[in-house]
Amino acid sequence: MMRLIAWRLVQLPLILLAIYTVTFTLAWLIPGNPLEQGEGRRPPAEIEAAMLEQYKLDNPFTFYWDYLGKATGVSYVLGQHDRPFDLGPSLRHENWSVNEILAAGLPVSFTLGLSAILIACIVGVAAGVIGGARPGTAYDLVTLLIALVGISLPTFVIGTVLLVVFAVWLEVLPVVGWGSVKHLVLPALTLAAPFAAYIARLTRYGMIEQRSVDYVRTARAKGVGNWTITLRHALKNALLPVVSYLGPATAMAMTGSFVVEKVFAVPGIGTHFVNAVLSKDLTLIMGVVLTYSTILVLLNLVVDVLYRWIDPRIEQ
Amino acid sequence: MARVLTAILLLGALLCGSLYLDDPSVDADIVIINSNDAFTLDPQRMSYLHDFRLGYALYQGLVVWDTDDYSVQPGVAETWYVSDDGKTYRFELSKSARWSNGELVTSHDFVFSFRRLLLPDSVADYSNLMFAIEGSEAFYNWRAAQTAAFADAEHPSGNDAQQLWRETLLRFRDTVGVTAIDDNILEIRLERPTSYFLDLLCFAVCCPVHRPTVEGWPTDETAKRRASGGWHQVDPPLFDTCQWVALNPDTGKLEQRHDWARPGRLVGNGPYILSRWRYKRDMLLEVNPHFHQPDILCNDSVLILTIEDANTRILAYESGIGDWVTDVGVEYQSDMLAERACYLEHHAEKLETLLDAGLSKIEALAQLPLPEDGERRNIQPIPAFAVDFYSFNCRDTLADGRSNPFADARVRRAFVQAIDREAIVRDVTRLNEPVMTTLIPPGSIAGYDSPGGLMHDADAARAELENAGWADRNNDGLIENEMGRTFPTVEILWTPSLPRYKWISLDLKNQWERALGVEVKLRPVDTKFYREDLRRGNFMIARGRWYGDYGDPTTFLDLNRCFDGNNDRGFCNDQVESLLDAAATETDNAQRMQLLAECERLVMNEHVPMLVLCQLVTLYMYDPAELVGISHHARLTQQLWRFEKRDTVVDAAPAQHTAKASIP
Repeated sequence: MMRLIAWRLVQLPLILLAIYTVTFTLAWLIPGNPLEQGEGRRPPAEIEAAMLEQYKLDNPFTFYWDYLGKATGVSYVLGQHDRPFDLGPSLRHENWSVNEILAAGLPVSFTLGLSAILIACIVGVAAGVIGGARPGTAYDLVTLLIALVGISLPTFVIGTVLLVVFAVWLEVLPVVGWGSVKHLVLPALTLAAPFAAYIARLTRYGMIEQRSVDYVRTARAKGVGNWTITLRHALKNALLPVVSYLGPATAMAMTGSFVVEKVFAVPGIGTHFVNAVLSKDLTLIMGVVLTYSTILVLLNLVVDVLYRWIDPRIEQ
Repeated sequence: MARVLTAILLLGALLCGSLYLDDPSVDADIVIINSNDAFTLDPQRMSYLHDFRLGYALYQGLVVWDTDDYSVQPGVAETWYVSDDGKTYRFELSKSARWSNGELVTSHDFVFSFRRLLLPDSVADYSNLMFAIEGSEAFYNWRAAQTAAFADAEHPSGNDAQQLWRETLLRFRDTVGVTAIDDNILEIRLERPTSYFLDLLCFAVCCPVHRPTVEGWPTDETAKRRASGGWHQVDPPLFDTCQWVALNPDTGKLEQRHDWARPGRLVGNGPYILSRWRYKRDMLLEVNPHFHQPDILCNDSVLILTIEDANTRILAYESGIGDWVTDVGVEYQSDMLAERACYLEHHAEKLETLLDAGLSKIEALAQLPLPEDGERRNIQPIPAFAVDFYSFNCRDTLADGRSNPFADARVRRAFVQAIDREAIVRDVTRLNEPVMTTLIPPGSIAGYDSPGGLMHDADAARAELENAGWADRNNDGLIENEMGRTFPTVEILWTPSLPRYKWISLDLKNQWERALGVEVKLRPVDTKFYREDLRRGNFMIARGRWYGDYGDPTTFLDLNRCFDGNNDRGFCNDQVESLLDAAATETDNAQRMQLLAECERLVMNEHVPMLVLCQLVTLYMYDPAELVGISHHARLTQQLWRFEKRDTVVDAAPAQHTAKASIP
């Protein structure tokens, strides 16, 4: 286990460097000038050139090395820069540094993503058990149908419907904003929907598979009650695929909440990320990608560790 | 099982641990819902409408507009004198004007800020707006050339940059026409008389900044400064000791960081101070206790929320979170306008009576009964100081080397006359924008009358084309030239990011195909490619739009100058050029306006480098019965301190506020 962790940590900087290089190349190739407004007046040519030079956007190699040095803290160690891990100022909102933007947005995205996954686990597993315990019955059909809706409907539809029903008609929850559990409910539910649906299906298939396995038959022969079999014996093994899905799902929920963040005006990172790409805000793109990749790699590691811990057979 | 449960519980614990929820509840008198956050709070760097709005809230220039009629009113300057030749302006500054930290605002603050605006190091978008000032353009070019040469040379010691900087300061003092006569008198000398110079000075980029703040002077200097009556009395600290500025030893340029633009750090001289600012979330402005004209303030605080999703902005407004949505931008906006039209029709009689009684339209609206189902009062269309048009490529050849049919003015005139603009604003955009045939929104500039342009006339259009040698010679419904070659397929360049242009472009295609017998193709490109294509002249016809910057016809007409950076059309005409030159040196204002009107007539009737469609309309969402103080003037500057909630408006309120709410 320790070897696994150590090995992964050694890989981390190399993976990040590769991601940095690929992302930078792609982001650089996006056409257009990040310092230019989409519409209307164009500043004089010499000012445009000066702006590009100011942010080192006139030469990809200068930018690549300069940014790498500042972001990793090498420039700081060498005494060329006054701060370590400086991800630069946002090119589209020059009063803000990317570090500040990430520090403000990451906790929000984390809270939202984790709440959504928690909801998805509880709802998904419950629905899967109800359906999988009695396949073919009305219970099964209803949960399957709900799962189908959850997977098929895009989040912006679910989000808008929830928003209109709970915030505008019933007025029980706030429309937009962030700051209390009340603000969390609708976005978390919306974000949870597709994950919950997927988990429900995984659990259901797991349950059905386990029902015909020998140890379940033995338990039944012993006269163990139906619910005890389901919850104590079958569920435990049926959940394994869910656990392996949880790793990427958590990462996706924490990083891919763009639509939900936009619909509910949640100040997370997802919207900044997409907008940064649209407006070619290079520093923000690089900052967000580097931060996310670090988190993803670490999360995958956590899942691998968890997996081995739940199912000791894997280690052998 | 226990392990699985533990794993889930662990996840829950992690969630609780990261449950980062801070209290957002702030009470503010006025809540504004905006579509994006500010680009910058540094006035000299501003170039977006929303930034300007914040600029006027946080800083105050020498003079300010009255946003009802855009007359110039005293700001920091109490009075001013203009010399007889119109080239020297002398401003007497108010002795009570203070920065938000209590320090006095002096003429030295303005000299510093103008220098900042005119330094190429600041890379300010609007530097050239101030090139009317004596010696400023020469100074700008000199400094740019010096730093360029500096960057190319070797610099073993950091002192060379310092040396160049000292030279720059002396040069500014000696050659640029901005001088502090004493602490309270500022003199500005111009290259040539500029009738709209005071209007330019109202612009946010001319607002002063507090030097010790933006440069980040060491705090131990503060006490010294206070004791001696202002930062100009002490020697400025070395750049090495400043927090936010530095001289780059390799390029010789002054580099500015913007960490000072934060609550608690930002020192302004405007009506508000910055109390809270969270990136793309919210910004709270509270009244500046040191503001020298407290009697003009109609509210104590303004909260600005950023909501990027247009639909969510509307829902947020409808649920009562905000008082004003600055940018509606939803696809169903024309339906909302239709609901407004229903409301107006329902109460047409009462509205008429109120208007006859001398109320402005918006005041009258506020007095009408509440809207019923299917009616709406909270959406306000405002024709802006802006024009929507399609550019013709006027170059001899297209970017790919083909010959360009639109190089011929007769063809352009034909394409303009073939278009029924009324049909577009009525059926296509469905916003009923005021149609225009010339470049300058009628009535938007005092003392200027736009001449008429080319109207819809399909017969005249076909005649023009025939003159140019294009006619349907073989009766196939398409036009050919004498050699029998059909008219090249016309391409319309547009951007799908704004759905508006999809519908307009499609309609133009239909109208041209029907009226002229040409084939038209749409070429949608992403905004980034579009800007590039415009610059390189890689288009036949391209959608455009233009917002005027200052209250003078040249803010629109300069688009037609040969070497203007925004002349996408590649249009160049000696007569137009000489008329604009003549206007630039003309000292008599009436004479000057005539020259400009003649120029506009020439451009829009004979050369027509663009097909002007209509005035752009901005949609505000607010209910005039709940919020007063929003200006409906085309130039769209909003002064936040004039906003007032209706339920707090009592009849005894100072007359000026209610009077100012009237709309031209």
